[in-house]
Amino acid sequence: MTAILEVRSLSKQFRTGGMLHPSRLHAVDDVTFALQPGRITALAGESGSGKSTVARLLLRLLTPTSGEVLFEGRDVARDRRRRDVLRYRKQVQMIFQDPFGSLNPAKTVRAHLERPLRIHGIAGRSDAKPRVDTLLETVGLVPAATVADKYPHELSGGQRQRVAIARALAASPKVVIADEPISMLDVSIRIGILNLMRDLKELEIAFLYVTHDLASARYVADDILVMYAGQIVEQGPVDEVLANPLHPYTRLLIASVPDGARTLEPIEIRKGTAAAAVDPPPGCRFVDRCPLAIDICRRETPVLVEAEPNRIARCHVTAPRQREDLHAQPAA
Amino acid sequence: MSQLQPALELAPPPVVAKSRLPIPGWVELLFRNPKSRIGLAMVGFMIVVALVAPLISVSDPTGFDLYAAHQAPSWHHLFGTTDQGSDIFSQVVLGARRSLLLGAAAGALATVLAATLGILAAYSGGIVDEVINFLTNVFLVIPVIPLLVVISSYLKSRNMGTMILVLALTLWAFEARILRGQALQLKNRDFVMAAKVAGESTWRIVFGEIMPNMISRIAAAFVLVFYVSLLVDAGLEFLGLGDTTHVSWGMTLYWAQTNSAVLQGEWWPFVFPGIALVITVLGLTLILAGIDEVSNPRLRDEVRVRRHLLRGLLFPTRRAA
Amino acid sequence: MTLAFSVTPDVPAESATPVVELENLVVDYVTRTRTTRAVDGVSLSIGAGEIVGLAGESGCGKSTLGNAVMQILRPPAQVTSGRVLFAGENIVERRREELRKFRWRNVSMVFQSAMNSLNPVMRTGDQFVDMIRAHERVSKHEALSRAGDLLDLVGIDRRRLRAYPHELSGGMRQRVVIAMALALRPELVIMDEPTTALDVVVQREILQQIRELQRELGFAVLFITHDLSLLLELAHRVAIMYAGEIVEEATAAQLRDDPRHPYTVGLLGSFPPLRGPIERLSGIPGAPPDLGAPPSGCRFHPRCPYCTRDDQALYARQVGERPLLRVIDAGHRVACHRVTA
Repeated sequence: MTAILEVRSLSKQFRTGGMLHPSRLHAVDDVTFALQPGRITALAGESGSGKSTVARLLLRLLTPTSGEVLFEGRDVARDRRRRDVLRYRKQVQMIFQDPFGSLNPAKTVRAHLERPLRIHGIAGRSDAKPRVDTLLETVGLVPAATVADKYPHELSGGQRQRVAIARALAASPKVVIADEPISMLDVSIRIGILNLMRDLKELEIAFLYVTHDLASARYVADDILVMYAGQIVEQGPVDEVLANPLHPYTRLLIASVPDGARTLEPIEIRKGTAAAAVDPPPGCRFVDRCPLAIDICRRETPVLVEAEPNRIARCHVTAPRQREDLHAQPAA
Repeated sequence: MSQLQPALELAPPPVVAKSRLPIPGWVELLFRNPKSRIGLAMVGFMIVVALVAPLISVSDPTGFDLYAAHQAPSWHHLFGTTDQGSDIFSQVVLGARRSLLLGAAAGALATVLAATLGILAAYSGGIVDEVINFLTNVFLVIPVIPLLVVISSYLKSRNMGTMILVLALTLWAFEARILRGQALQLKNRDFVMAAKVAGESTWRIVFGEIMPNMISRIAAAFVLVFYVSLLVDAGLEFLGLGDTTHVSWGMTLYWAQTNSAVLQGEWWPFVFPGIALVITVLGLTLILAGIDEVSNPRLRDEVRVRRHLLRGLLFPTRRAA
Repeated sequence: MTLAFSVTPDVPAESATPVVELENLVVDYVTRTRTTRAVDGVSLSIGAGEIVGLAGESGCGKSTLGNAVMQILRPPAQVTSGRVLFAGENIVERRREELRKFRWRNVSMVFQSAMNSLNPVMRTGDQFVDMIRAHERVSKHEALSRAGDLLDLVGIDRRRLRAYPHELSGGMRQRVVIAMALALRPELVIMDEPTTALDVVVQREILQQIRELQRELGFAVLFITHDLSLLLELAHRVAIMYAGEIVEEATAAQLRDDPRHPYTVGLLGSFPPLRGPIERLSGIPGAPPDLGAPPSGCRFHPRCPYCTRDDQALYARQVGERPLLRVIDAGHRVACHRVTA
């Protein structure tokens, strides 16, 4: 299956520190993955791990420090012309975390949905109405005519998020990036939104589901990417990764999720943070917290290795490089 | 598409807004807020006076009539006469026209400048922000009243148009800074980013997304420039830098001053224009306070707590929560 | 630091007088335009050394309830009727000075955001000292030493007493707040979403810490959260709150294995499992009601899958009569017309 959106060695660094101690925050470090149409890929990690930065890079809200963003095979990361940018924006859309914040309080639902149609020349003022109604029905907001004239503050949280999804779908994008779309919703409403996302796979859209919640990632996604300190540490089919994690951080993450229906084996937690590091030294970033750490972990940054078919991890112990790969460049 | 499950969320939304207005009925709240209600009444009264002024004043408010000079308020001359015999009542009501017009025009011009430049600077960032900030700082540093004094002294024409322009140019910077601050907060809100992601152009975001959410602050800016203009204009005229042919509150005060009305025991040339000025400016200030309270929920809570405490003080038998 | 969580927490022995008992508590938000009943006749008792979980979604009144127990309700919220009994005495009537002593010494509170409780411009140690000396006559030196002990208790280096709050990580700040809450050895600590803003690994650390401390010091906990799966692991007993009322109350095991109220069932079904088969979940249709105009009869009836017109008599009761909490099993109470004692 050809990937619709591909990211290669994407990196983003922010300058921090003052003039006396200039340093760089490695927010996103050498991230590589591909999104397929009709599949939901979860990008999981704790706060500061870089997942939201990746989302913003993909949406051109930030420019990458290095690496490529390939849309339908073409690198779009450095497009400058408005026409190119606009074409990309039509194809890659976003759903934000805050259902209220992502809607303009001064505009009706209809106004929100009409704008993308007008900007991308899909429908003019006259033929916008039936399209708006169809969009609202697609996301389950019925009766469409009533909802369309409401303002955001007249809707519930779940309804607002559905409006946000409808807006993202308005321009018929090929890629939708959802940044924690359910974390600010009530628990009983979340399933509805997750189900909607599952159903939208029918439209052959490629979803990137950014989240910190592994359980919802399992429910809705096909593949999962686990991020730690700006790097991807594990990727693979979501069921396999969660049932049989390779990377020690993934294991820690899974063990920490509250799950009232199971017996927990004691697992050690050492202090540390998943947040991106400033001027990180070579070596694995998880080394201070890792129960499996060996000597090489402190010296050399591990690279992503396909330990089993489709199971990729960044770990010297569980996914060691083969002898032959010694020629390959180590990750920065 | 029909295979997608409909959401059964037809329950009424938890937030029930009283009005259909986007920012939940803040205009309605303004009318209900006691401070702004009084303010609106005062300014409204002045507007009515200004509107009917030509009907209730004499044809020549600055005309000489030495037989009627120095007269205290009477049924014939409600506010008395000046030392030249001019009817002060007419001067005051006609002066209202000039003042309100001047204040509104200066307010509008300054606000448009401040809002456009402030929001643009906030949203664009980078070099645009730096340039506009520089411009704002330059204008901020200029002391308003001395500048106006100097300009007024030099200008050949001191008509209202010039006055409006000068006032707007000196007062816009203050508001631009404030509006820029608020726009900066809004800029980071998700819906602005969503518009950008959707492909909106910068100008559409500035005017279509950010500005509509700053209406209350922009209204406040307008009101502020309005009453500052009134005071500055009256002040300048009092100092003798106004156009002597004009009919306005400031001019009435000026003539009263130059003709030593007080020394002669004549209070009416001072008091009446003064009261008119006070009513208008106070009214505008109250409206401003009301807008502040309405748009800042925390202020509203403080007022509520204060009222609650006051009630507790006055009625100690009732158990305070 | 090792984690050891057992699935079924050991239930503490029955104690004579509960630490805190709520009797038909009613809390209203009174404004000029309308009155909203946030807590509508809630009765709940918390025994010594018990961890009681209070679960519910936004707007169900659980935070208001927590604030009512601490008596920190601010206008326009007020206790309209009912009693909050601490060691048998109603604290709703007490005067401000008594309440000040009561707060923190007998009952303390941990909020969701540590920065709501910590003064950003004071060193941590100074804040401890201030708080201790406000309640006890001790020297500054003594207070600081106790503060150090408290930090030891929550696993933070003593030297952090000299740090400002912003110099600590989110997890550490929350542990500082917990340490402060325990400073005067209260009998009850109310925790309102203490870990919601934290990452999942840090959350697990904190929860384990709370568990250990609770075992060691024997205080009771009222743990308020929307995360029911968390409560099932942590709490002895759990109460489910909906639209200002408690609709079900049971031990954690009972709630997990035998939930009776349709809302509880729906809520449990809203947490996708991390293990086991993935089935399509349905959540709960509709949205939580507006407390200013709640549905008639059973407040859950518009969203309840069992409220149909098939049984006319039952339907009439569901829309007309408020169900009362009835005991259906030892330690298990449900407020539902379909569940008979």
